[in-house]
Amino acid sequence: METILDVQNIHTFIGQYHILQGVDVRVPKGSITALLGRNGAGKTTTLKSILGLTPPREGKVNFEGRDVQGMRSFDIAALGIGFVPEHRAIFRDLTVEENLKLAERKKDDYNCKREFIFELFPDLKRLIALPGTSLSGGQQQMLAIARALVADNRLLLIDEPSEGLAPVIIEHMMSAIRQLSKETTIILVEQNFLVASQLAEQYVIIEEGRSVKSGAMKDLVNDKAAIHRYLGAA
Amino acid sequence: MNTFIRKNLVLLIILTVLAALFIAAAQGMDNQDFVITLLRGLSVGSVTFLVASGFSLIFGLLDVLNLAHGTLFMIGAYIGWTVYVRPDTFVDLLTPFALTLSGFALRDVYPLLSAPKPVPARMKRILPWALILVSLLIFGYILPRYPIAIWNVENYAQSPVTYAFMTDQGTRLPFPVVAFDRISPILAVIGLPFASILGTFALSLFQRNTEHAIRTTWKSFIGFALLLIIALVGFIFNDTLTQSLAALNSNWLFFTAIVAATLSGAGLGALMEATLIRPLYSRPIYQLMLTLGMSAVGIEMVRAVWGRPEFVMPKPAFFDGAGEACPATTFADWWANKCSTILLLDGRVRVYNEIFIPLVGIVVLIAVWMLLQRTRLGMVIRAGVQDREMVEALGINVRRVFTMVFALGVGLAALGGILAAPSMGLSNVMGESLFLNALIALAIGGLTNYPGAALGSVLVGLMQQFIIKYGQIGIPIPFTEILFKPTPPLVPASTVLLMVIILLILPNGLLGKKE
Ligand SMILES: Nc1ncnc2c1ncn2[C@@H]1O[C@H](COP(=O)(O)OP(=O)(O)OP(=O)(O)O)[C@@H](O)[C@H]1O
Ligand SMILES: [Mg+2]
Repeated sequence: METILDVQNIHTFIGQYHILQGVDVRVPKGSITALLGRNGAGKTTTLKSILGLTPPREGKVNFEGRDVQGMRSFDIAALGIGFVPEHRAIFRDLTVEENLKLAERKKDDYNCKREFIFELFPDLKRLIALPGTSLSGGQQQMLAIARALVADNRLLLIDEPSEGLAPVIIEHMMSAIRQLSKETTIILVEQNFLVASQLAEQYVIIEEGRSVKSGAMKDLVNDKAAIHRYLGAA
Repeated sequence: MNTFIRKNLVLLIILTVLAALFIAAAQGMDNQDFVITLLRGLSVGSVTFLVASGFSLIFGLLDVLNLAHGTLFMIGAYIGWTVYVRPDTFVDLLTPFALTLSGFALRDVYPLLSAPKPVPARMKRILPWALILVSLLIFGYILPRYPIAIWNVENYAQSPVTYAFMTDQGTRLPFPVVAFDRISPILAVIGLPFASILGTFALSLFQRNTEHAIRTTWKSFIGFALLLIIALVGFIFNDTLTQSLAALNSNWLFFTAIVAATLSGAGLGALMEATLIRPLYSRPIYQLMLTLGMSAVGIEMVRAVWGRPEFVMPKPAFFDGAGEACPATTFADWWANKCSTILLLDGRVRVYNEIFIPLVGIVVLIAVWMLLQRTRLGMVIRAGVQDREMVEALGINVRRVFTMVFALGVGLAALGGILAAPSMGLSNVMGESLFLNALIALAIGGLTNYPGAALGSVLVGLMQQFIIKYGQIGIPIPFTEILFKPTPPLVPASTVLLMVIILLILPNGLLGKKE
């Protein structure tokens, strides 16, 4: 399969802390890849390193055959990468519509995509004029994902979409992500192994800033020992 | 509605108490005193707002505490004064100023130049510094030799004080004549943009690798072309421009002064951000020291150029009428005679200070509000104030917006300076108390909240003016014979006290967001 993103042995520092100490992630086009690992393992930092928000000091990041190492983060994003940050970081002072419009990269992006977005998340349509502050947690998460869909993104980085949400909403979120994955490649950071295992085809496990294990999700599901060792889950 | 009241209960109580205080303060004085004090408060509040709002926009988006903001306010006043009183100097400055800036307008073009050719590492490190040195040497050679007609700080008869006084009397002193006698005009006009391009190109070499994705089109040259045109027009039509400005009636000249001061302030802000502030974004402490240093340097430079003594900024004819029919009693009357004062509820109100300034304040308040709420730039600013990283992750070049916001903020301060000049007069330290006012206003209103800046500024202005007024008429203490007269030192103390009380109850200010 064609590789859309190839991360090779990246090392990232935050201040003087050596946070990522060799992470490899290889993402085949048109699939969902889960980044797994305990709290503080370096999953979020990996996503931010791909986007150049915390630029890696060593290693290679290659998106669609293009070396993006050293590029400015907004230029990297503009190549076609959408980011859904953890903790549902939407712009609270902007209305739902403004949140979406801000994500435009071409003039009519929002108008072209709104139908599709509202089909995926019908709730947003009626909240369109409300400020981000007045949205519930689930609605904020939907908005955060929707925001990444406005521009033409061929890769989505989604950081812990199920964090702190009720089971029904998680279901809804999962079906949305599944639907998105038909057209877009997705990297999914997920603490909830059940969610990750149902969505992703591949996985990469990160431990203390290193990628320690990767492969097909269906193999991991049966490898109880590995799950226990790396994720601490049953 | 109910939840709104519950959520903002403390705020509503404070506002009610403030309103009650205000009404109580109004009860204690005559109508005429009240009208004047109220309008003066709004006037001080407006000028404070112009300084505070710019400061807070810059702090909100860039995280830069621009301690030079008060000095830039003052510089705005001096620039405006120069346009108004010495239009010849202003015209003379246009060309060298535009040419010096021209290189910055080309910054989208530089990445193309620096892309190819592997250069040895040591060369790579030395080259920018060498280029900057050469550029500075050229500037250092040309700029002091460039002929600019100016006043003479040493000689009283030709000092700014005298020029201001004579203009105020309605007679202009003749402008001195200068010519290109220490440098050839061709050399100057070619050398300046050359040095500017060299220097700004060198600055661009310091930046992170930007070879990808910048698209250079003809648009990248617009700014450069515009500056060249300004420079050439100023160069070729120097005399014509000077004469037409000097012949302009004082109202239009004043308007020109306001526009020029605001734009120069914005230009100065953009220049500051691009050269001095930008390299220090990762080191906030150095940035703080830098802006503090720039504030001191700015004051000294103004002292060197305009001298220490204070002088006046004459008011334009529109606000300066005297004569039989003045003070005007109705607005129609005022319009007919352009009286400098008007009677409102028997109070003698100065039209410029107490009506025009608050009006401009309101216009700016609304204009910037529209910019923030209705434009894409405003949306990026509001989003960036909250989460800069996420805005970048959307593919938006926030750094570019930084320059614009810095320019906007400093432009607003400069506008405040030139507006305040006719009422405050010009002095080297006029920015200091105002800057302090602005900081207090922001603490009261909420540090990065735009409506909060307006609310805080008005509160500070009103508080000060009412205390000053009561310093004159005294407050009768109930159940006693004592008449308490607040002394002048209580004026700044009162606003600080108000700030402390409000911050104790609402640590983020009246409209600041809870973190
Ligand atoms: N600004 C920072 N300064 C210092 N250390 C940091 C900073 N940001 C992150 N870290 C450290 O980097 C490590 C990796 O953080 P990261 O946020 O990538 O973890 P994560 O795998 O996403 O964890 P979680 O599941 O809790 O979100 C952590 O140990 C964290 O303490
Ligand atoms: Mg994380």
